[in-house]
Amino acid sequence: MTGGDADVAGVPAAAGIGLRAPHVQEVITTRPPIAWLEVHAENYLGGGPALRRLDHLRPEYPISLHGVGLSLGSAIGLDERHLQRLAALIERIEPVLVSEHLSWSVTGGVYLNHLLPLPYTEESLEIVCRHVDQAQVTLGRQILVENAASYLRFRHSPIPEPEFLAELVRRTGCGLLCDVNNIYVSAHNLGFDAVAYVDALPREFVCEIHVAGHARNDADGLTILIDDHGSRVSPEVWSLYAHAVTRLGPVATLVEWDTDIPALDVLLAEASVADGLLYRARPRTPHAATA
Amino acid sequence: MPLLRELQAVFGEALLGGPTEAAAAQILEDGLRPQARLDVYRHHVFTTLTAALQATYPVVCRLVHERFFGYAADQYIRADPPAGPCLFEYGSSFPAFLADFEPCRHLQYLPDVARLEWALNTATHAEQSAALDPVVLSQLPVEDLPGLTLRLDPSLSLLRSPWPIDQIWRVNQPEGGPDATVDLGSGGVSLEVRQMGDHAVFRPLDRAIYAFRGALRRGDCLAEAADVALETNGAFDLPQALRNLFAEQLPVDYEVSSKGPEHG
Repeated sequence: MTGGDADVAGVPAAAGIGLRAPHVQEVITTRPPIAWLEVHAENYLGGGPALRRLDHLRPEYPISLHGVGLSLGSAIGLDERHLQRLAALIERIEPVLVSEHLSWSVTGGVYLNHLLPLPYTEESLEIVCRHVDQAQVTLGRQILVENAASYLRFRHSPIPEPEFLAELVRRTGCGLLCDVNNIYVSAHNLGFDAVAYVDALPREFVCEIHVAGHARNDADGLTILIDDHGSRVSPEVWSLYAHAVTRLGPVATLVEWDTDIPALDVLLAEASVADGLLYRARPRTPHAATA
Repeated sequence: MPLLRELQAVFGEALLGGPTEAAAAQILEDGLRPQARLDVYRHHVFTTLTAALQATYPVVCRLVHERFFGYAADQYIRADPPAGPCLFEYGSSFPAFLADFEPCRHLQYLPDVARLEWALNTATHAEQSAALDPVVLSQLPVEDLPGLTLRLDPSLSLLRSPWPIDQIWRVNQPEGGPDATVDLGSGGVSLEVRQMGDHAVFRPLDRAIYAFRGALRRGDCLAEAADVALETNGAFDLPQALRNLFAEQLPVDYEVSSKGPEHG
């Protein structure tokens, strides 16, 4: 599987939306013209009615499965039971993409419900590579790994994040999910150049892009951007996105919205903005970009 | 620089309200105190887990008001953080926590209302099992029937309370008016909670039926379950109770008990 301008294994290089509980019934009833849908894996691991409702949508929309709980960066190892449940869910819903995060959430048997940052060291790289290998073997497929938003830097973290991701791709054969909002948020919070970050990613392995809104919080008089997925995508993030698709080629793009979830129409309107920018990126990117 | 395992252990402690010094020592200042940077993460952990508990326990939240719920949730998250990433599975011990939580000890019905909400949550997320066709019983030799065990719908919960928790739940739905009242002295209930179609529902059961279904659910065979029900009510009608059980599509599997230990 490669990124670039081609459709990736059944995912169109077009905009999709994150399907959240308040919209499920409306999407089933109205069948909006959207290229694909992404769901959070952890909301479907119980089976039951949620999964049956998703079954109504599967014939019509490619489904991408986005995990938040695998904790690829946990030093104590992956939760084998969770991995097996994911494998069963993948077998059941046959998603076109499966993705997770470059982060950790589990320590000492406790799940911290946050995508926590890793120090980018050789030790972390070995741990994450081992877990991506384990996940790809157990799930029987390639996974995409997403850059998380960050609010701190470690004293000792010698490898730049894009370089860490590129090395992860090289060693494991995983793909990348480039979250443009997360890059923008982290760049602001940690003071790096967002455009240079995008330019440093191994473009042929970026198979999906995320965009979302963020909040601005005051912390001790300093503005911290929070990746809260609770508003429209900001103009600055759309601008970074336009740069990303120009460089990476048209890549399947997801609009995420998780807090203060708006009417479905608002989400669809955001997706059409992404579609417009994807369309504009096409002519400038020769079709052989992934060769 | 500590090993990643140690770094994550001190971060876990800091993010769950424990000491923050060891985690902060690993963070670059970058114009903002490391503690303030940690607070961004800690705030997210607590607010999202509180929201998850609120989604599972909306009636408890309404009964005690959102601010008190937030306080109770904060204490609960520190005491019993999630062990896994599926948030609909988080909070099974919240009813027991509330029962021991001094600031709301006087609301004696509250833990039972929470148990009802947990049962509804469990039923909502349960995998659907195909109902057992009653014709299988008629194909069994009559002498096997007393030793028959029936496995019931896995979404089923049975709970009993000395308080009218069904009425409390109903008047505290979003559409319920603020002036609705429940007579706490109106007596207790025996409730059955299960998944019906795409929803979780509950209803009160007659005490003998409650005892009968409870015994079957524990794995008692038909003869033992009938004895338990007869102790509750001497007029318990086993054939009728069985017909109702199948009409409600509760059995999903059966087994004929064998005497003595099982071999493979």
